[in-house]
Amino acid sequence: MLLNPKKIQQLAQNLASLPPDENSSELKGRSLWQLARARFARNRAAMISLIALLLIVIFSIVGSSLSPWDHEQIDWDAMADVPMLGAPSIQSRHYFGTDDLGRDLYARVIQGSQISLMVGLIGSLIAVVVGTLYGATAGYLGGRIDALMMRSVDILLAIPFMFVLILLMVMFGRSIYMIFIGIGLLSWLDMSRIIRGQTLSLKNREFIEAARAIGVRPLTIITRHIIPNVLGIVVVYATLLVPGMIMTESFISFLGLGVQEPQTSWGALINEGARSIQNGTLWQLLFPLAFFIVTLLSFYFIGDGLRDALDPKDQ
Amino acid sequence: MLSFILRRLAIAIPTILLIITLSFVLMHAAPGGPFSAERNLPPEVLANIEQRYGLDKPLYQQIFVYVSGIVTEFDFGPSFKYKNQSVNDLIASGFPVTLVYGFWSFVCASVLGISLGVIAALKHNSWLDYAATGSAILGSVLPNFVMAPLLVLLFTVYLNWLPGGGWEGGQIQFIIMPVIALATSYLAGITRITRSSMLEVLGSNFIRSARAKGLPAHHIILRHALKPALLPVLTSLGLSFVGMITGSVVIDQYFSTGGIGQHFVNAALNRDYSVIMGVTILVGSLTILFNLLVEILYAWIDPRIRY
Repeated sequence: MLLNPKKIQQLAQNLASLPPDENSSELKGRSLWQLARARFARNRAAMISLIALLLIVIFSIVGSSLSPWDHEQIDWDAMADVPMLGAPSIQSRHYFGTDDLGRDLYARVIQGSQISLMVGLIGSLIAVVVGTLYGATAGYLGGRIDALMMRSVDILLAIPFMFVLILLMVMFGRSIYMIFIGIGLLSWLDMSRIIRGQTLSLKNREFIEAARAIGVRPLTIITRHIIPNVLGIVVVYATLLVPGMIMTESFISFLGLGVQEPQTSWGALINEGARSIQNGTLWQLLFPLAFFIVTLLSFYFIGDGLRDALDPKDQ
Repeated sequence: MLSFILRRLAIAIPTILLIITLSFVLMHAAPGGPFSAERNLPPEVLANIEQRYGLDKPLYQQIFVYVSGIVTEFDFGPSFKYKNQSVNDLIASGFPVTLVYGFWSFVCASVLGISLGVIAALKHNSWLDYAATGSAILGSVLPNFVMAPLLVLLFTVYLNWLPGGGWEGGQIQFIIMPVIALATSYLAGITRITRSSMLEVLGSNFIRSARAKGLPAHHIILRHALKPALLPVLTSLGLSFVGMITGSVVIDQYFSTGGIGQHFVNAALNRDYSVIMGVTILVGSLTILFNLLVEILYAWIDPRIRY
């Protein structure tokens, strides 16, 4: 016997009687997500962006209770002389001024923010769900099915997306739902390619092999073992996708082919502002533009921060 | 290489056919037609008009007639809205305009973007780098429809230097604003990508060897670093090109330049199906062609890539 059982027992007792100190909690293993959160919190630009974005979201939800004006209500007094009476002021309670029709811009910016943010979120949600499932399936199954699935993506990607979207809007009525459908149809393509690449590198790893060996069904392997492992990339890419969606919607609405009155969005508001530049009503352009730019910048910085936080290469 | 090009072109054909079929099916499914919008025509007259344009035939026959027209005579059919103009006429009048400002935007965005990115990477962590990176980040949230009104505000309303719109045969003062508006966001993207990929290359071993060998700095940058650093940029150039063609819709609308985007929006509003489809097919084919070009360039720059 090389080991003295008595000594071992004593050692175990000593260890058990030690008081739980600070160090022992430090030594507890930290998950990838905990580490990522800590890294993200240290990124100043990303944290400021997160706060700015949260403020905009809160503003778009509760902001309307601070103003007496409704987004459809017309202020006939202001309409008579928009460049003078429609200017932003606290007294008239048009905090952001009015538009050409005497409607309160503050209320309209809130409404536009709601729609633009919703387009961004729902668009990326579709991309995440469809793109992840599609890409993971193609990558995991491989072979001919993979080739067929990815060739279809290639073909769809070659279609001029914006033109098809405009076509859809014109033919089936310009409504916000049509934008969701149109964006949803095509937003998942890039996502599926990225996820497929990730899946290809994952599928030959031991833990997948083990799952296969004990007879787990392919669908369960995809949903339980592959997708959780690509989630980091999904999160980063989804964050970077949101500004793209918002931009697409704004592009369409800027052309007057997107959301229809009395609903509005940032793109539609920028369009209205852009058309009235010559009248000297600058606020009509600058307020929606500021919201648009701050939101997009925030999403970029948050996406960058998430990438740095979740990318193990960069430690 | 040749077989790769042929394979790629072979994929292009089903893509274009898909675009055509998709457009036809959409048109068929949509409520209302190109001739039901303006006034209430008597049913007999409507039937006559639809017969003239072949809209009374079954869907597959319409598609067949349309495709064979393109293949045999390169004829995209008559415009449904403008009686004496064919789609070919409209494209011929709009496309050169789009090509002019699109070309200059593309040149400006790629040349300036690559130079800025390279300079930023060479002067890493200097004020030059911060300025370039900062403006690249700002530029990426200034798409064409944001830049266009801002430019008009500055150059037309305040400074009164440039006309706010029009084309007039493409004189320089009409080109400047469309080019800046179109190029800004892509310039920003190209700068960012060039900078990060150049930084990566400059940190690699073969550049260190080149330095250790005592090669002059410009030689290292131009002959050794630039080529591999440009590979990821090429992909983004392909995307920029497509984005700029799409952006022409906004540019034409806002600056009244009369390019292909203007025809597209007008056609979309008037349900002028044949024009919509002609433009979509044109843009789709250009996209495919340009992506092919990018991939060939890829193989030329990076000899490790074999198709």
